[in-house]
Parts: sequence; structure tokens; C-alpha cells
Amino acid sequence: MDNRAEGMERFSRRQFLKVSAIWAGGTWVIGMPALQGKSFTVLSEQEAVIMDALADTIIPPDEEYVGGREAMVTRFLDQQLGRYGYLQREKERYHTCLPALNRSSLNRFGELFTELDEEARTAHLTEIEAGLHDSGALENGWGEYSPSAFFRLVRDHCMMGFYGSPQHGGNKHFVSFRMLGLT
Amino acid sequence: MTIRDKHADAVVVGSGAGGGVVAKELSEAGLKVVLLERGGWAHYAAHGDDELTAQRSFPLEAFFGPDNERYRRVAVDRQGNERVVLPNDWAYQNNAACVGSGTVSYGAMAWRFMREDFTMRSTYGDIAGSTLADWPISYDELEPHYEKAEWEIGVAGDDDQNPFAPPRKKPHPMPPFPHTEESKVLEKAAKTLGYHPFPIPMLRNSVPYDNRPACVHVRNCVGFACPVDAKNGTQNTVIPKAIATGNCELRIHAQVTHVLMNDSGKATGVRYIDKEDQEHIQSADIIVLSASATETPRLLLNSRNRLHPHGIGNRYDWVGRNLQGHAYCGADGLFGEELFNRDGPGATIAIADFVHNNPGITGGAVLCNEFIKLPYAYSSGFRPPGSKSWGRAHKEFQKRNYMRNVSIRGPVQEVPNFESRVEVSDSVRDYWEMPVARISGFKLDEDIKTARFIADKAQKWLEAAGATEVWQSIPGTGVSGSQHQSGTCRMGDDPQTSVTDRYGRVHDVDNLFIADGSLHVTNGGFNPVLTIMALGYRVSEYIVKEWQAGNRF
Ligand SMILES: Cc1cc2nc3c(=O)[nH]c(=O)nc-3n(C[C@H](O)[C@H](O)[C@H](O)COP(=O)(O)OP(=O)(O)OC[C@H]3O[C@@H](n4cnc5c(N)ncnc54)[C@H](O)[C@@H]3O)c2cc1C
Repeated sequence: MDNRAEGMERFSRRQFLKVSAIWAGGTWVIGMPALQGKSFTVLSEQEAVIMDALADTIIPPDEEYVGGREAMVTRFLDQQLGRYGYLQREKERYHTCLPALNRSSLNRFGELFTELDEEARTAHLTEIEAGLHDSGALENGWGEYSPSAFFRLVRDHCMMGFYGSPQHGGNKHFVSFRMLGLT
Repeated sequence: MTIRDKHADAVVVGSGAGGGVVAKELSEAGLKVVLLERGGWAHYAAHGDDELTAQRSFPLEAFFGPDNERYRRVAVDRQGNERVVLPNDWAYQNNAACVGSGTVSYGAMAWRFMREDFTMRSTYGDIAGSTLADWPISYDELEPHYEKAEWEIGVAGDDDQNPFAPPRKKPHPMPPFPHTEESKVLEKAAKTLGYHPFPIPMLRNSVPYDNRPACVHVRNCVGFACPVDAKNGTQNTVIPKAIATGNCELRIHAQVTHVLMNDSGKATGVRYIDKEDQEHIQSADIIVLSASATETPRLLLNSRNRLHPHGIGNRYDWVGRNLQGHAYCGADGLFGEELFNRDGPGATIAIADFVHNNPGITGGAVLCNEFIKLPYAYSSGFRPPGSKSWGRAHKEFQKRNYMRNVSIRGPVQEVPNFESRVEVSDSVRDYWEMPVARISGFKLDEDIKTARFIADKAQKWLEAAGATEVWQSIPGTGVSGSQHQSGTCRMGDDPQTSVTDRYGRVHDVDNLFIADGSLHVTNGGFNPVLTIMALGYRVSEYIVKEWQAGNRF
């Protein structure tokens, strides 16, 4: 087992404890963390956790339907950024911007983005969307990329992963089609 | 080494709406035809129902072409900033690149333009900033060709229900499609408003036709190939018929780069590159360009020669000018009850009350209910201004409203302007090292004024139908093209203000013809494809008549 896969194992167990029990439709069900048994090809373990947090903020889970994370939006993205994916050209942008985004909440909240609750994550992304983090982006680790433009891109990719065909790695169990009443 | 292909009577560049028709007409008349297409065959089996690569919004890639690897364009915004864009970027203004082009995946609305659509200048006068002109031909001259397109390619419709329909000699060959639940509600409302609703004519089989089955009403229709082949494009009608004559050879993955000419001013053939990057020269007596309103002018502009230093047919700088699409506008409404169309493709009802004769307004548009909204597309559009585009409120909106949303849209006829144009880039080249198309321009205020007028009508219609919340959709002022691109090699009687004559022949070059959306002088208050097909028949009729009279051009 290489280091990466080992990391994934550890992550999975930790993640499992956090999310395994979900209140769904009146019963407790044992949920699977999005990444269980799934090693990614482009995104690192840490990047995947950040991406999961983004996906669940952009499309939050509710009592009826899972959110972006469990719909496997991160798997969709990893697949598209990879060698055979359609979004290879965005790979570097994700590698640079995901960690920068995770740290960008430290100033205001004193915590990493992944450690915030949904309300705080929403408030923080609203700021980024509005362009409040665009000046000084370079010093804050965003490289040549604009935080607000990155947010627009991630939002769009989350919608693709959640609402697009499962053949691309997301929309697990056709969740969005069921949610819209299409199946 | 260059391969010199066997000489043909005619070579047709592009197998889309216009080119497919021309290939059939010429080969049926006995001419030896070579049909060159840069794309390949695009079948349902290879694509299926994937919205993210479908031709409507292609967020990942356009399955029906062109690909993101080899194709580029330069898009220029209103401030003059240039950007290199891929085919699946909206600013690329893509239609398609495969056998049949857009007619494989289209929505298949099959409109005849109205009489006034051919006489916009004499109907509306001079519009400031516009190059508005009448067509050199009238509706009545094109009428027989519309009829031929409807019967040979196959249209379901009933003009008797549309009092604004232009005169026709023969009815549509197939009965119209029935209204869906949503359309029935809209039909009733339209009648109470005094409008005249009717079923949208469709290039789709309402009953079995020409050895292919009737439509099975799948949801994934527009943007996709048909799973049962009940949608009629050139790829399953005229092109197979052309090939069956034994006179037409279709060569796919053939990227044409130049139109070749000799020193006496005749076109001699075309240069193209095949799938193995092998260069070919196809010589022919007659050359027909049907490469679309963006690629046809690009080919002419890239084919400079001693006699035509600024590009073929471009003596007076009209090639690539007057690029038009439509100023799409309309309204969306939310209803108390679920009116969602389970019957695909969803769009069935139209009114033509506001295409012309709107006081103080130039032109107008037909108004139709929208095709079924696909899940990803619905995640970004179709919501009131100011709505949340992500987060909990967004998800709630999706859940609550998807089935209760009804949209009305209309293709507002743009008045053409000289500055909306296709040029060739002086710095960016494609995979074959040819300068790519550079697209720039804008819509005139007149178009936005018309769009506001039409959107108001759409709003009233939805309100009368019982929508509880209604909002309008007004287009931006950027240049349009895309699926409805047209106008860039307009036909006309005066060589100083047009690119071809009334038969689609390039003014300067006796044996070079155009048969695609480029010819449109104006683009009608309707989707354009049936008019492009009808022009294909007209251009072919002229060529065949001359050929049979012994003219070798
Ligand atoms: C999703 C979708 C929905 C649509 N819905 C409707 C509708 O409901 N009603 C309607 O009227 N219209 C509709 N359209 C538009 C319609 O398809 C176009 O108006 C029509 O196809 C344009 O015809 P054309 O002959 O001008 O060009 P095209 O049909 O685009 O044909 C051009 C062909 O030339 C080929 N080509 C280009 N350059 C070269 C080259 N250098 N060498 C070789 N080949 C080349 C292209 O690959 C293409 O196959 C729709 C289009 C799409 C994509």
C-alpha cells in the first residue's frame, strides 16, 4: 500500500466517525463517507476534504436528499481533472486554490474552512463570491488566480457533478434526478 | 506529398443543413459529387443521454463537435478585449461539426419565414447603424423550395391553425404533434388574450415517415441524437439518398483549408487535410461552400490569391459582415401546480401574433414554450433575478419549482450591422495552422427594444395562464451567432453591397456557390434551419439547370 492509499484509509476511518450516522426520513441510517474505499488520482487527501466541504456548502445535504459531498461531486471533479477527464486544464488551478481557500477563513474565523460549520462556510463563500478576497490574493497563496473567479468555477463544477449524468462520477444514485422528480 | 483526388463535377464543403441538401440534389441530377465534412458520424449509441456533453450547453465538451483539442476561435468583447476560446465556450458561437451538423441534435422547429421577413428594409425603413436590406428574392420565390424541404426531409405541422402563416400550396406532410398538459394551459390562456396559438411545426415524425418510426417523446431531444431516429436531419434523409445515387462520395474527417483558384478567376477545387494529416487537392468544376455562417467566410478570407488579395468574394469588404443570430428573449413563470412536461421534447405551442406589425417596433418574434429544461441547465438559469445561485436556498428552489416552471421564448429578428463580423485572426491558428475565426460585434439598441416588447407579451401570456410569479429574460448586447448564425455572405443584386447573387453564386467567381446560413440577408423572427434547407434546394436547382443546359461554368 503506498502512502497515498494509507492516508486514504486513515482519512476514511476518521471521516466515518464524523458522518456515519445521518438522520434520514425519520430513521437513523448508517451513511458512507464520500471517500470510503476510493482513492483519487489528482486530488490529494487534503484537497479532497476541502472539496467535499465546498460541495456540501454549495449543495448542502438536507433531510430528504444528500448534498454535494455524498453525491460524489469530488469524485466527479477528480475524474474530470485527470488524464482522461474534460477539465485537465483546470488541474493547476485546483491544486493552488483549494489550499488557499482552506486557509482564507483563518483571519475572520480563526479556523480552516473545513473546520467551520455550514453557516460559517456559507458566510465565508459569500465573501469570496463578492470579490472581497480578490485583492492580495497573490500574497495569500492564490497564485495567479482570482478567488472570486475560482468560486464561480467551483460552483459550476459542483452543479455539473450533482446534476449531470452519473457516468461522469457524480450524481450518485441519480440523487438530483430523483430530487427534481425525473425518475 | 499532396494527393490529387479524382476530379469531380462538384465538391460540396460541409454536410450540414445546406450542404446535405445540395449534395443530394446535384448527385440525383447525375453530377459526380464529393461531399467533404470535417466531422464524423454522430450516433445516439455513442452518446446517449449525457447532458454535460450534449449540444445544447456542452459544459464539458460538444459531443457533436467540434473538439476542444484542435479547434479555437478568438472572441472579442465590446471593450475590444480578445480571448482565445474553445468550442464549448459560449463565446465560440458553436453550432456543430458532424455529418448533418446541427440537424442531428437540433430541436427541429421547422419554420417558414413570413413575407415581411424577406422585405425588412422596405417594411421598416432605415434603422440607424444598421445595414438592413431586403432579400433579392421574395417569399414566393422560395415557397416551392420550402415545400420540397418539408416533404423530403419531413415536417409535422398544421398551418391552418396559424392565421399569420404565409401562403402555401401543399399542407405539411405529417399531422402536428398534440399539445402537452403545459401547452393546453397555455393554449387556453392565449385564446382568452385574443392570440392565435398553434402547434409548432417540427422536423420530427408524428407518424412513421419515409421508413423511419414516429417520435417516442424522450426528454433528451434537443441537444441529443434521437434514440429511434424519428428526428429528421440531413444525416438520415438527403445525405443517405445522395450516397444511394452512386454519384456522391462523402468523405468524413476532411478539414478544408482553402478554396483554390486559377489565374483566370475560376475556382479549381479545394485543399483539405484528412484524418491522417495527409494533404489532398480535390478539383471540381463547381465548388459549393456550406460550412456555416462562421466557417464559410473564414474559408473565403483564408483563401487569398493574386486576384483576390483580401479574400475571395471580398472585393467590397462584405465577407464576414452582418453576423446575426437572434436576440432571444421571453419570460419565465412559476405556477401553483406542477405543469411539467413528461412528454419530450416539450415545446409544442407557438403564437405568431407578434412577428410583424407591432406599432413602433422593428420586426418581432414567434413565441414558443421552451423545450424541457435539463437538470444541469436548470441549476443556473430559469429563476427570478437576484435568486441565490448556490447553497440551501438554491437547493430548495430546485426542489420546489422544477416541476412548476414554464418558460416562453422568442427569437427576435436582429437588424444586421456591419461591425458584427467574422474575420480571420492574425495571431491564432488551429491544428492545421490555419488562421482561426475572430468574432466581434454587438446588437443594436433597436434589437433590445424589440426584445423588451416581445418579453412583455410573453409575460402577459404566462400571467393569463395563471403563473403566480413571472419575470422576464432580456438578452445582453453582445454579438450573437451560435446555433442561429447567419448573414455573413449575404445575397444581393448589387455586387458592391453583397457577396453572392440571388442564386448564391459568389459575384466574382462564376463556379463558386454558397449554400448555408451565410446567405441570409436577415434572419427572420424564427429559427432558421428550414430556410437554409430551402436555399439549398434553390441554389441546387439553379446549378442543375445550368449544368443540364451544358454550362460547365
Ligand atoms: C442544439 C441545437 C438546436 C437547434 N434547434 C434548432 C431548431 O429547433 N430549429 C432551427 O431552425 N434550427 C435549430 N438549430 C440550428 C440549425 O442546426 C442550424 O441553423 C443549421 O444547422 C445551420 O445550417 P448551415 O448549413 O448554415 O450550417 P451547418 O448545418 O452548421 O453545416 C456546416 C457544416 O460544415 C462543416 N464544416 C465547417 N467548416 C468546414 C471545413 N473547413 N471543412 C469541412 N467541413 C466543414 C461543419 O462541420 C458542418 O457539418 C439548432 C442547433 C443546435 C446545435
